Amino acid sequence: MREFMQYVRNAFYGATGWNEDNSYKDLNVTARELIDFPLPRGIRLSLSSLATPHFATSYQLCNVGVVDGSISYLHSSVPLTAVPAQSDKIPLGALMRSYRGLHQLGTRGGAQWSWETEPQAGTTPQIPAVADMRPIPNKDKSSLLYGRLYLPQSLLEAMVIKRFSSALQVQMSAVSEQSLRNGGTMLSVVQYDKGKYGLEGLYSTDGGLLGLRGLYNFGGDASGTAANSQNGPGSQESAEKERIYGRFSVGGELYYGTLNKSGGMSLGARFATLPTHKGTPLTATLTINPLMGNINTTYAVLAKDFLAMATRMEFNVYSYESDWAVGLELWSNRRPAGFLLGADPSLHLESDEPEPPKKKDRSFRAKMEWRLDDPEPEPAKVEKPEGKTQEYLGVFKARLNSNLNLGLVWEGRVKSLIFSLGTGVDLHKLGEPFRSLGLEVQYSS
Amino acid sequence: MAFNFNWSPLTADAGFYERARDLLTTALNKSPKPPIIVDDIFVTEFNLGSVPPDLEILEIGDLAEDRFRGIFKMCYSGDAFLTLKTRVQANPLNTYLSGKPGFASPEPLSASSSLTIPLQITLSEIKLSAFIIVVFSKQKGLTLVFRNDPLESLKVSSTFDSIPFVRDYLQRTIEQKLRDLMMDELPAIIHRLSLQIWCPDQIIKEDEEQKEAVDHTVNPLSTPPLDAVDAEGHLLDPAAISELSLEAGTEPQSLFSQKSLFKLTSLTSTQETSALFTPSIKEVMYRAWAGPSDRFDTAGTPGPATPSLHRTTSYTNGTAHTYTFSDTASQDQGNLPSRPSLVSLNSATAGLSLGSGRHSKAGRKKKTRVVNLRGKTSSEGESEAGESSETASTSAAPASEPVMSHPILEVPEEDMPSNASKVRFGGAHPRRPSFRGDREPAKVSEAPVPSIEISSPNTTQKQASRQSSPVDIKVPADWSRPRAPSEISPSVILEQAWVMKMAGEIARRVYDEKNRNPQFWEERDDTPPPAYEPRS
Repeated sequence: MREFMQYVRNAFYGATGWNEDNSYKDLNVTARELIDFPLPRGIRLSLSSLATPHFATSYQLCNVGVVDGSISYLHSSVPLTAVPAQSDKIPLGALMRSYRGLHQLGTRGGAQWSWETEPQAGTTPQIPAVADMRPIPNKDKSSLLYGRLYLPQSLLEAMVIKRFSSALQVQMSAVSEQSLRNGGTMLSVVQYDKGKYGLEGLYSTDGGLLGLRGLYNFGGDASGTAANSQNGPGSQESAEKERIYGRFSVGGELYYGTLNKSGGMSLGARFATLPTHKGTPLTATLTINPLMGNINTTYAVLAKDFLAMATRMEFNVYSYESDWAVGLELWSNRRPAGFLLGADPSLHLESDEPEPPKKKDRSFRAKMEWRLDDPEPEPAKVEKPEGKTQEYLGVFKARLNSNLNLGLVWEGRVKSLIFSLGTGVDLHKLGEPFRSLGLEVQYSS
Repeated sequence: MAFNFNWSPLTADAGFYERARDLLTTALNKSPKPPIIVDDIFVTEFNLGSVPPDLEILEIGDLAEDRFRGIFKMCYSGDAFLTLKTRVQANPLNTYLSGKPGFASPEPLSASSSLTIPLQITLSEIKLSAFIIVVFSKQKGLTLVFRNDPLESLKVSSTFDSIPFVRDYLQRTIEQKLRDLMMDELPAIIHRLSLQIWCPDQIIKEDEEQKEAVDHTVNPLSTPPLDAVDAEGHLLDPAAISELSLEAGTEPQSLFSQKSLFKLTSLTSTQETSALFTPSIKEVMYRAWAGPSDRFDTAGTPGPATPSLHRTTSYTNGTAHTYTFSDTASQDQGNLPSRPSLVSLNSATAGLSLGSGRHSKAGRKKKTRVVNLRGKTSSEGESEAGESSETASTSAAPASEPVMSHPILEVPEEDMPSNASKVRFGGAHPRRPSFRGDREPAKVSEAPVPSIEISSPNTTQKQASRQSSPVDIKVPADWSRPRAPSEISPSVILEQAWVMKMAGEIARRVYDEKNRNPQFWEERDDTPPPAYEPRS
């Protein structure tokens, strides 16, 4: 489950039309989220609010042995008016769905972040709905400020996102804490997104780390737009585009620590089906770290609308170490703990079939006149809105890795509270299997 | 003095290296490891080599058959080596990210993927130079503490010698780790090893022992101050101190004046903060006054003698008759000293070589370490009784003085051990305490001992008791105490006259002796005790 502030941040990206997928960092984010989802630990209560369209607050109280908490504030220069922030209205998919379809390239301003990403039965969730927001005039100069203070530890997180043009964005994040070297660390990222390719340069004050990341898209819609611009529709390439239902991306990253004279690099490639693809959406990635001899492959598939699965395999050609992990996400439209909440009147009304009309007795007048009643007019059939009733109410996530560590999480909405209940199980020690147990409750208004 | 260390027999023990390896392995894995080390550290090879370390004895504080305490200077540049095996993280970006907050992390996609490599490290060419404090006792084992950072240099050779970054990192990390090991872990290891060798039965209850030891060191009541005062500054009598105990929940601070403690705290803080204000504390000698006070001492004022005066206040009544004696003697001399009789008695009897000035110096330098050569003294034919009583008196801290069963014999000897040990360094001078002086006439023959008459009953008692049993010594010594006053009490005047006469006789003899053998007296660097100043 994403935190409320992350949800608002994503909403900001959506409102300003920033494609956060077009970064090498998020090459295999789909499989990562399906497998490495965070397990709740202890009890965590968060109370959040999007008080004004520009301002959001969030308070959190945790109890993992010790009680601590955090206070966070967020300011966005872009009004987030159309963002549903109430916890009974937030689309669960935006908070919980791991499988992330690709956004359309180069459609900035046209297709905004879809608030209707919540999957609905019978519809493909990847199709971005037409934005119901009015166009924002100054979104190219928008900015976001975010700060969070963890209280007993006095740890301060701060983040500034500043958009300079439609393609250029700067992100700066900083952490200040006493135990860290130099009292804290700061990371600046310059992001340049040109649709077909995306570039990132970063600098971290910790060790003077310099980094460069790049991603290049081709095939599918990426080449399609180029073809369209060059020689119009109806050519041979459009036929080829019909055959390939996905987009290829290749990229790489390079790091160099100026202070400790160390570095690292990796190369990666991805194939992902386009949202327009009618078949099973899938994403496959391959990353290679040639310095360390590490090969990492992931495969994620949205098998059904309510079921997503992912696998990851790692192998090191130098040390022959290997690792695998599988993850699964199962959406449910069942009411969670429905037997407890059976008295819910709205649910009762919704689920109840309309009563079959009772067979009426002959009326008194008809009896008097020795005739039958006139046939009554047929009742008009009520069309049931399919989408509304089959709303998903919860999701079950599971993962298993090569150490036989099993992670189980149920996330869902009960009334206007969003719950996340999870546990970690070590299958090696079946005597005391539960490694961790946690419950997260989130409420926002 | 020379010591002969056998370096090779350490290796002759077949199980020694195995034990040492196990201990080192556990010690290395105890503390949290740096993120680059991803597995446990195993010690696979360990050899002490053939070149022994150079040891230089700087100071020996205590030496006996069953215990030893000393400070050494050790230099080592031998061929010992040590081989470790572990697994390390070879990706610097992975170790870079560990322990960093995720919020400001660059989040590399795959550049930080881990690559663990088995690593073998050999530590050789170890150069050590350290001051070592060694404390050995048969009951408690061997304790070895480094006074400074012992590691001078070290050669780390590993599988990564070709990569300079990793090599430097390993060298730095291992040196730091080894420093910690030397300073913290090695003393514990050696202590445990010594316990295994000398007292294996102690290992089982080692934990309890350590707890007890901690309790002992913490207990301030085991060594209460000489002049204990309560919170209002009134003197506490020793019985009250002995009644106090930590278990009873009595505030230990009440033994010390709150005001004095506060002043001491402020004094310390002024020295730390270099403040100009210095609180004045009563009856305290400041180091800045040291020069004038030394001159003060040589002038023969009673100042230096105050420590012994203080001690006498806590003595039992049994010492009374010794007091009378010396007081009368000094009165007879017409010179009433404020110096307590004990001092003059000792300086006059036990060693004519011992000047009062030296004695007062010894009193001030009480904290200097002293080699205890008791074994040697017993071989000189000292009586068992004397030895046992002396042992009792040395072990008897001031706190134990109020015990009433203490033999009177020991009271004059209270000051003896310190004096005597000082004399031993002097060499040729007799170190017999007063009551045994008469049995060594060869050494003190020229100077008749003033305490002859009084100590003779004691010594006869001693000789008698020695024939029976050395354990019984305290009984006759005890009943010798009431006897001595009883001699005085029936005819005090007679006794006084006799004592005066004796004292006069002694003084005269001393004067004669001095005239006869002037250079012997000139050896004394200070003025004689006032009681025995030649009458003009």
